[in-house]
Amino acid sequence: MTDATIEPAPAPRPSLPVWSGVGRVFELALGQMLWSRRTLFMLLVVLGPVLLALVARAAQAGGIVPLRINGSRVAGLDAFGLLIWVVFLRFAVPVLGIFYGTGLIADEVEDRTLTYLFTRPIRRGAVLVGKYLAYLVCTGAVVLPSVVLVYFLLVPLGEVAGSVVWFAADLALLALGLAVYGAVFALAGALFRRPLLAGLVWVFGWEPLATALPGYARQLTVAYHLQSLVPHAMPDSGVMTLLTSVFADTPSAPVSAAWLVVLLGLALVLAVRAVETREYVLDQ
Amino acid sequence: MSVITTTRLSKWYGQVSGLNDVTVAVPPGITGLLGPNGAGKSTFMKLVTGQLKPSTGAVQVLGEAIWGNPGVYRRIGVCPEQDAFYERMTGLEWVTALVALHGFSGGAADEAARRALDAVGLLDAAGTRIAAYSKGMRQRVKLAQAIAHDPELLILDEPLSGLDPLMRRRTVRLIRDWARAGRSVLVSSHVLHEVESMTSNILLINHGRIVAEGDVHHIRDLIDEHPHTVSVWCAEPRRVARALLAEDTVLSLRFGAGSVVVETSAPDAFYARLTDMAASSEAGRIDEVTSPDDTLQAVFAYLVKP
Repeated sequence: MTDATIEPAPAPRPSLPVWSGVGRVFELALGQMLWSRRTLFMLLVVLGPVLLALVARAAQAGGIVPLRINGSRVAGLDAFGLLIWVVFLRFAVPVLGIFYGTGLIADEVEDRTLTYLFTRPIRRGAVLVGKYLAYLVCTGAVVLPSVVLVYFLLVPLGEVAGSVVWFAADLALLALGLAVYGAVFALAGALFRRPLLAGLVWVFGWEPLATALPGYARQLTVAYHLQSLVPHAMPDSGVMTLLTSVFADTPSAPVSAAWLVVLLGLALVLAVRAVETREYVLDQ
Repeated sequence: MSVITTTRLSKWYGQVSGLNDVTVAVPPGITGLLGPNGAGKSTFMKLVTGQLKPSTGAVQVLGEAIWGNPGVYRRIGVCPEQDAFYERMTGLEWVTALVALHGFSGGAADEAARRALDAVGLLDAAGTRIAAYSKGMRQRVKLAQAIAHDPELLILDEPLSGLDPLMRRRTVRLIRDWARAGRSVLVSSHVLHEVESMTSNILLINHGRIVAEGDVHHIRDLIDEHPHTVSVWCAEPRRVARALLAEDTVLSLRFGAGSVVVETSAPDAFYARLTDMAASSEAGRIDEVTSPDDTLQAVFAYLVKP
């Protein structure tokens, strides 16, 4: 044994206050996320609708009607609503939720960097919440501006004043979608070692299937409740009628909003609990 | 008072035992955890750092339970074995961000990070991305994040792995100075010589059990009966071999891929000579020195034989 001694251990010191821990992890995670390859991927995802809107705008300027359904010209606001529902809510938002949400903890496990976060005086749950908030800010900072761009490209200036409330509702809906999908997939990431596949199966397998089935299965999807909050009426076409008929039996907006908030809270609480209690064995 | 105590500690990975019924008290000062690869060192280190939950038994660090008790991390610094980082960050950004997780404010975190980087000899490269660091620099920046918040207890998992002889000596000195300032260190290694250069107090682990603990000299007597194998990774293996062949302590020598594998009967003298060679560059650049654990395995076989 060595001769070295240390002073008697001081009284136990507490961990950082939860919100202080959340804030510090948020700062660290936001920088990591903003400059990650995922953000490049996200930019590509949201660039698609912006390009579509640009083409439509250019066509309109050239006197060409960019979109007709059943021979009728689709108004700019309707085209915008179509993009919000088909491209953003049914594709971009869930995909971003999967790629970011599942990675909040799973990426740290795979990269073996989790040790650096879990050996700090911060509750493990605060690590998850801090990273989740960084995900919200990061995805929101890319998705929402692109929606604004699409809106001003598609909607004629004269119609802006009359549709600004719808537009604000769209932005809020997208933010809610990102929050709910992110929380659900954060839970998957906290529970499973390779959650990406589970996320893809959920969004592109379970959600379309459950929403097409009669009964209560559709209640257990995010898409079903998001649809009932979409403020736009879909244009009447064969395809669109088929698509929207899947959601014909939509609940009222307050019920859907309540479902989504409950789902969000429940997923986050379960994810925090999983992270607090689960043991993560990193590969050597 | 012990800095770490384990009581009947076991860890199972499914049907595989990682650690088996270990009861041990780690005293203040430097303690070396010595064992061959797969002996249970990493499992032990992960249990005492709260990364793993005991299957049975208990762990206390600085008098407190470690699992599910983040407050205790204010008082300990952990340098894990894995070579994993946020590669896009610079060394300074990374250490600053991690020390901020201890509650340091912006300015204080930056100052603490610079101090730690200076201590490990990385201040000049503080603004370089970690992705561009050499293996030795990565090892040192990992050490910097462990000491930056000035913990009472350092837990270092194979901290000398990947370091060149000069940096190895500097790191050993840093660890010894750390203990001399009244703090404690638990350091794991599979190389007896490394541990011996830091402390005479060791825990020997094999097959998930502590097979011996106490003074290193007893183990040393045993190990001296076995030739010691060292791999020297260098820029010019033939030049290094030529220089080493003149040494009495070298029993045999062969070439590996980019390395010279030496068998020596006197590790102390050999390592000292190697450090001098690295300092003087008389045989070109020496990148890394590793020691396979077959020598140690022989000692363990001796220790555990009925």
